[in-house]
Order: sequence, then C-alpha cells, then structure tokens
Amino acid sequence: MDMASSNLQAEAAGAALRDKIVVKSLDFYYAPGGAKALKSVSLPLKLGKVTAFIGPSGCGKSTLLRVLNRMYDLYPGQHAEGEVLMDGENLLDPSLDLNLLRSRVGMVFQKPTPFPMSIYDNIAFGVRLYEKLPKSEMDGRVEQALKKAALWNEVKDKLKSSGLGLSGGQQQRLCIARSVAIRPEVILFDEPTSALDPIATAKIEELIDELSGDYTLAIVTHSMQQAARVSDFTAFMYLGEMIEFDDTKKVFTTPRDKRTQDYITGRFG
Amino acid sequence: MTETAMSRADMMTSRVEARSKAVRRLAGGDALFRNLTFAAAIIVLLILGGTIGSLIQGSLPAFKAFGFGFFVTDVWNPSDDKFGAGAAIYGTIVTSFIAMLIAVPVGLGIAIFLTELCPPALRRPIGVAIELLAGIPSIIYGVWGLFVFAPFLQQYVQPGLIAAFANVPGLNALFAGPPFGIGVLTASLILAIMVLPFVTSISRDVFNTVPPMLKESAYGVGCTTWEVVSSIVIPYTRVGVIGGCMLALGRALGETMAVTFVIGNAHDISASILAPGTTISATIANEFTEADGVLYTSSLIALGLILFMITFVVLAFARLMLMRLEGKAGK
Repeated sequence: MDMASSNLQAEAAGAALRDKIVVKSLDFYYAPGGAKALKSVSLPLKLGKVTAFIGPSGCGKSTLLRVLNRMYDLYPGQHAEGEVLMDGENLLDPSLDLNLLRSRVGMVFQKPTPFPMSIYDNIAFGVRLYEKLPKSEMDGRVEQALKKAALWNEVKDKLKSSGLGLSGGQQQRLCIARSVAIRPEVILFDEPTSALDPIATAKIEELIDELSGDYTLAIVTHSMQQAARVSDFTAFMYLGEMIEFDDTKKVFTTPRDKRTQDYITGRFG
Repeated sequence: MTETAMSRADMMTSRVEARSKAVRRLAGGDALFRNLTFAAAIIVLLILGGTIGSLIQGSLPAFKAFGFGFFVTDVWNPSDDKFGAGAAIYGTIVTSFIAMLIAVPVGLGIAIFLTELCPPALRRPIGVAIELLAGIPSIIYGVWGLFVFAPFLQQYVQPGLIAAFANVPGLNALFAGPPFGIGVLTASLILAIMVLPFVTSISRDVFNTVPPMLKESAYGVGCTTWEVVSSIVIPYTRVGVIGGCMLALGRALGETMAVTFVIGNAHDISASILAPGTTISATIANEFTEADGVLYTSSLIALGLILFMITFVVLAFARLMLMRLEGKAGK
C-alpha cells in the first residue's frame, strides 16, 4: 500500500481499506507568493467510505475540497503544490483534462445550485456532455439518478417544470442527482446542509449514508454531530494544517491531539 | 415608592402627549408632501399626453391629404406637395435591424470575454474604453463617418462586396450598384458602433450577477467555458440581456445626427443596402428649416408620430417578451 510515512496514524486506521485518493504534503496558495492556506496536508480518502473534514472557519477544509476537483483552477493565481493521487494518477498534473476530472469527481455546494432549466434537463445536461443517449435511455438515466437522490417520487409528475421551483432541500437533492447521473467515482460535499432546515438536512444525511459504498465521499461540515453521524473517517484541520485523521469514532471519543479535543468539546471554533 | 412610580407614569403621559402634538402639527406637512410628489408624477403623464396630442394634431393635415398611402409610398416631393413616409420608415427599420445584427453578437462576445475569459489586468482598461465609446457625441461619429469611414468603405470594402456577390442570386441585389461610400450600409455600421457599448456594458453587468457558485457547479459537472456561458450564464441572464438589446434598439431607431451625415438622404426604397436612403429622424433633421407649406410641416410631424409609435411598439414588445420569459422561468 502506497502511503506517506508521516501518515502512520492513518495507516493504522482502516489499513485493510483501499485508498481512492491519497493527498501527499499538499501546500496551497490563494495568491502567488502569498500565505499558505494549506500546509503540507496529507491524508487518504478510503474507497467507498465517507470522510468528514471538520475544523473552525478558515482552517482550509473547503480549500482542500476544491483542490480535489481542481476547482481552484478557475481563479488565476491560486496554486497547489504537492501530490494528489487518484488511483495512482496525479490530479495536480497541469496537462490533466479538467472536464474529465470533474466528471469523475463531482461536487455539491453550500447552497443548492440548480441550473436555470427544467428538472429533467438539470440531470440530462451533465449526462449529455459525455454521452449521446437515445431518449428512452436518457429517461432511464434521469429516473435512476432521481431515485438515487430520493427525489423521484416528489418530482416524477413535473419533470418539465423548472428546477428553480423546488424547495431548498429538494433543490439540493436535485444537485446530488445531477452529480450521480454523470457516474462519478468521488463526490465532494461542501457544507451541503448549511442552507437547509433540519428535516431536509436529515434527508441529505440519509442520502450520503446510502451513497457511500458505491462512491467515495468527502464532506466538509461545521456540525460535529453531522460528522459523527455520517462519516467513517474524520479529519480535523486547524489553521491550514491536518491535525488529526482517524476513524470517526476514535476522533470523537479518544482524540490524540489537545486541539482536536478542544474543538470537539466546543472550547474554540 | 408610590410617589416615584406616579411621577414616572406622569412623565410617560406627558411625553406621549408632546409626541402626539408634534404628529398633529406635522400631519399638514405630510399631506402637502404627498400632494407635491403626486403632482410631480402627474406632470410626467401630462407631458407624455401633451406630446402625443400635439403630434397627432399636427399630423392630421398630412394623414387627411394622403390617407393610408402616407405609410407606404416613397414619394417625397416638396415642390408638388406630395409626401409619403415609406422610404423613411423602411430606412429606419433596415438600418436599425442591420445595426443590431452586428452589434448584438459582437457586444455579447465582448461581454463574455470581459466576464469569463479576460485576464484581470485587462478587464478594467477594456471596460473603460467601451464606456468611453458610449460617451462620444453622435456628431463626432457623423463627421468621422462622412470624412473617414465612408471614403474607406467606398475605396476598399464596397467594390469587393459588389464583386463577391455579383453572381449570387438574391445577395447580388442586396449588394448592387456603384459604391457611393455613403448609404444604408454605412449608416448601419455607424449605428452598430454607436449601440455596441450599450449592448456590451449592460450584458457585462448582468453577466456579473450570475452567482459564482452556480458557474462553479456547471464547471463542476465538467462543462467547458463555452458550455457554461451558453447553457448557464445566458439563460440565467436572458431577461437582462434582452432588456439591454431593446435599449440599444431604441437608441438605434432614434439616432439622428450620425445617420444624417452618412445615409445619403434619398427618399428611395432600393433593394441594395449600398444605395443611399433616409431615416425618419434624418429626414426631420434635414428638412425642418425649409418646411414652409402646411402640408410639408404636417408631413414632418407625422413622421415624428410614426417614429414615436415604432419605438413604443418595440418597447411594448420587449416588455411582453420579458414578461413571458419571466413567467416561464418562474414555473
């Protein structure tokens, strides 16, 4: 198993599981020559498992997520150093096809972002970018994705109406369905429930639970209860550094680092 | 104890009384203020109504004399007192149409470049230059068009156009005749340059209203920049973009000075866009000083009324389209 030697703790945690993505001594800069927003971060994302990133605001957890699908590339000047290996392939390679990468690593955002088109097209739009499917097959794909996102029963009679007309929670599940339809290998969730009410949040969490196994998931969250509920592994970050990565149970019951303990007991954050 | 409680209650009542006195005193002022602002709003309606009224009244002699034929004939003969608005209406619509045909795609392209593709260091200089273009007085475009642009077209562009389309059926009629330099095409090109900044700056402003997260999520499913722009940015902002284009069209329809310089001022309807023509506003500007007869004056005023109606219809149509689009997006 290919592992950074500095990552002994992670190796102990779930050594039997395959790594989907391995981040190795990753540094990140928001501006050339600026301060490091990520400082030598290393951790694995285990295949088919849910990894939660927790830590106070500005600790770099969202930044890390945006490295995993190279979203930062949209903004000139932002820049990452180190290695991010997905199945052994370095995702930071400048010659990498970004559109293809983003079809393999999907993302769900803080706020629901349905496209300005019908519910059906919200799903079919992404699929059409990669595959030319006959109508009947596309219908099947859309249905399958909406079922996976537990939205089918609520929208099956109004597939032609605008995605913008759905409630916030439904919109977020539509966004998840949109990601799922492209058949990614990894899905990144950037505080997916921060704009949702408790009931919609519960549905999204349930969904994340169901999707794990089929997909490798990473979730950034400000809610420690959420991290404890949905994740298999938890990474605690602080000021751009990876402080602790381990089994979620271990992080929440017997944290090794004092800072982790302070954070999860609510002493700072 | 009780005394202090009493006095506090007294104090409260006296404060309330003082306030209600003040409110009563101000009530008259409020009414005055309301009536003043109401009057200001009414004045706008009165001015609009008065303008329409005097245009209609002034144009009645022309409509009585020529009837419906005034709209369709292109005879414009002051010495015989025979007038028809056909050529001017045709010229107005054709020049504006060609101008929009050029300005909308180019303007949208610039706006897309500025918001999505442009290196940040160039964004401001180009944006400022576009806005300066909008600030140039139209007379300058006219002078430049007549002395620089028209001779350039006459010498280098129009002969090529005529030769290139000479054997293409349909298009050979569109690009026929001797290269005058001035004419409908030249006026259209000048108009396109003049309305370009409107299309660009309004589209840029509405493109900037697209939430970055929405664009990121489109990139997040693997879209290219072109796919993000065509499938997300433009559909999301179409209402604003159409509004901007209609404003630009309004300006093109009414533009007077620059067009008068370069269109040739001939009351003819000709198939070739290289031929001289005229527009409603150019006709009025050229001839109002020499309009002596009642019928001549009335015909010019009738032209004004027609221009008024055309712009009104364009704006009403734009409103209708926006309402339908909004209705569709909302459900």
